[in-house]
Amino acid sequence: MEYINYIQRNTGLMTEYAQNHFSLVLAAIIISLLLWVPVGVLITRNEKWAARVLNIANTIFCIPSLSLFAVMVTIPALGLGRRSALVALVLYAMMPLVRNVYQGVKGVDKTVIEAARGMGMGPFRILWEIQLPLATPVIFAGFRITVVMTTGIAAIATYIGERNLGRLIAEGLTRFNVEMIVVGALFIAIIAIALDSILGLIEKRIVPRGLRIGRG
Amino acid sequence: MIELRAVSKVYSGQSAPAVDNLSMTVEKGETCVLVGPSGCGKSTTLRMINRMIEPTAGTILIDNQDIRQSDPDKLRMNIGYVIQQIGLLPHRTVAENIAIVPRLHGWPKDRIKTRVDELLKLIGLDPEETRHKFPSQLSGGQMQRIGVARAMAVDPPVMLMDEPFGAVDPIARNHLQDEFLRLQKEMKKTICFVTHDINEAIKMGDRIAIFSAGRLVQYGMPQEILSSPANDFVSDFIGYDRVVKMLSLFNVENVARRTFCTAGKSELTNVAVKMGDAGADTCFLLDEGGRPAGFTTLEDIEKHGADPESIRQIAAGRKEAFVQETILLRDALSLMLELDTEQLGVMDGSRITGVISLRDIRKHAGKKEGE
Repeated sequence: MEYINYIQRNTGLMTEYAQNHFSLVLAAIIISLLLWVPVGVLITRNEKWAARVLNIANTIFCIPSLSLFAVMVTIPALGLGRRSALVALVLYAMMPLVRNVYQGVKGVDKTVIEAARGMGMGPFRILWEIQLPLATPVIFAGFRITVVMTTGIAAIATYIGERNLGRLIAEGLTRFNVEMIVVGALFIAIIAIALDSILGLIEKRIVPRGLRIGRG
Repeated sequence: MIELRAVSKVYSGQSAPAVDNLSMTVEKGETCVLVGPSGCGKSTTLRMINRMIEPTAGTILIDNQDIRQSDPDKLRMNIGYVIQQIGLLPHRTVAENIAIVPRLHGWPKDRIKTRVDELLKLIGLDPEETRHKFPSQLSGGQMQRIGVARAMAVDPPVMLMDEPFGAVDPIARNHLQDEFLRLQKEMKKTICFVTHDINEAIKMGDRIAIFSAGRLVQYGMPQEILSSPANDFVSDFIGYDRVVKMLSLFNVENVARRTFCTAGKSELTNVAVKMGDAGADTCFLLDEGGRPAGFTTLEDIEKHGADPESIRQIAAGRKEAFVQETILLRDALSLMLELDTEQLGVMDGSRITGVISLRDIRKHAGKKEGE
């Protein structure tokens, strides 16, 4: 099959592309988590800010990826290459992460929080010991979506200079090389599915025990 | 002791205050029940005591200390708080839930463990079985009990309870109420209890505070409130069966007459004489085993004659007409109606201790009315 031939002939190139793809996605995810999870938690304290921030996140999310990457490039501090790609990917991650953290924390049973307050637990303790653990399923679901989404959109960064798996599709289209297109698309999809499945397994593990166990 | 001085709560945007210039005192060791229709301000009042809500005006003192002087969290760590929906942490075990306040106080691990087991036993649950369970594995009644145990973990002198038994079925609620009364007899905590059920208020309260539209309408002991309602609102709130409700404040032992005599099968002919000798108007007939098998009264003899056969027949009809000393007058009345009799024999365990009649109950009810 031509596709297997193609892979065999270009293993080195594909490995380079795959590594770049992964490192971009990894960096974007780490920065996004460090940035957006605290933001999500902070806006649970203030409804006005919550509305503003969520609006911004939604708006950014609606911008087509190619346009956002292109716009990033025009900003003097960023230019072509990884920095722009990272900023764009982190901006896209804002919506799923901030929204899920916010909804997860807000969605915790209010009577549990009332009881905890009434016992003398302070607001930070309540956040750390009750709200975050109970919000974990929803937060993790947001994280999972973010990972899959970032893996896909990272491919588009190829148009602003990233040398990742998206390049196979882009060049394949330019040269009309069907093997390149198919192999590129396939590999990105496989990576996204694999990551999603792994995260799915982890998701099952991290749900707090008490929420998993039903009436015996 | 809890004291409220001219406490008011007004919510912005509402013209009528939720709580209007409330002043009252809950004495140490007493259970005060706040009762009233929905929206009357009873829960709001309760939640101002532990600063879950801040009053708009007035002062609240616990043991003569203004509650505003303490940090709210520290204040609440020393007040037991039980709510209707219980609010157990679903991701923590029963033991961990009960251990929350002790942990906040910094108790060492083994002290906490001992206390958790102690409390579980106190509320009638097996520590070994229950300690490691999660709330989702428990029944409603168990969860409610654990909610109460959790509130008592550091043995706070004051407890605030907001419809604590509301979320379970009536049978379980009855048991929970009885158990709590039993505990309170030993613990003598100062308790503020909110309910919308006047029957629960009468059962649980040393004193009842009746609220309407943010105002305290009447505050007094159940007897007072039942026998002298302050106005029509209170009367209506209590219900038409006000006097019968009063009967649930007393036990048979408060009213039973203690003079009686007993007669075995062979002494049926001498029953009248025996009664005369003992100065009693009731004679219990004993069976072969010495157990009560009915009774006859002076009235019966006057009406139907003293021949043994009629005495035996009348007495036999009363075989079921016995009650324990500890049951409520109201339940005794119910039994009288059920058996269509005006007399009941009174027992303490398996020992005969007296007799009670419908007339006795009526006299007692009448006495309270007129006072």
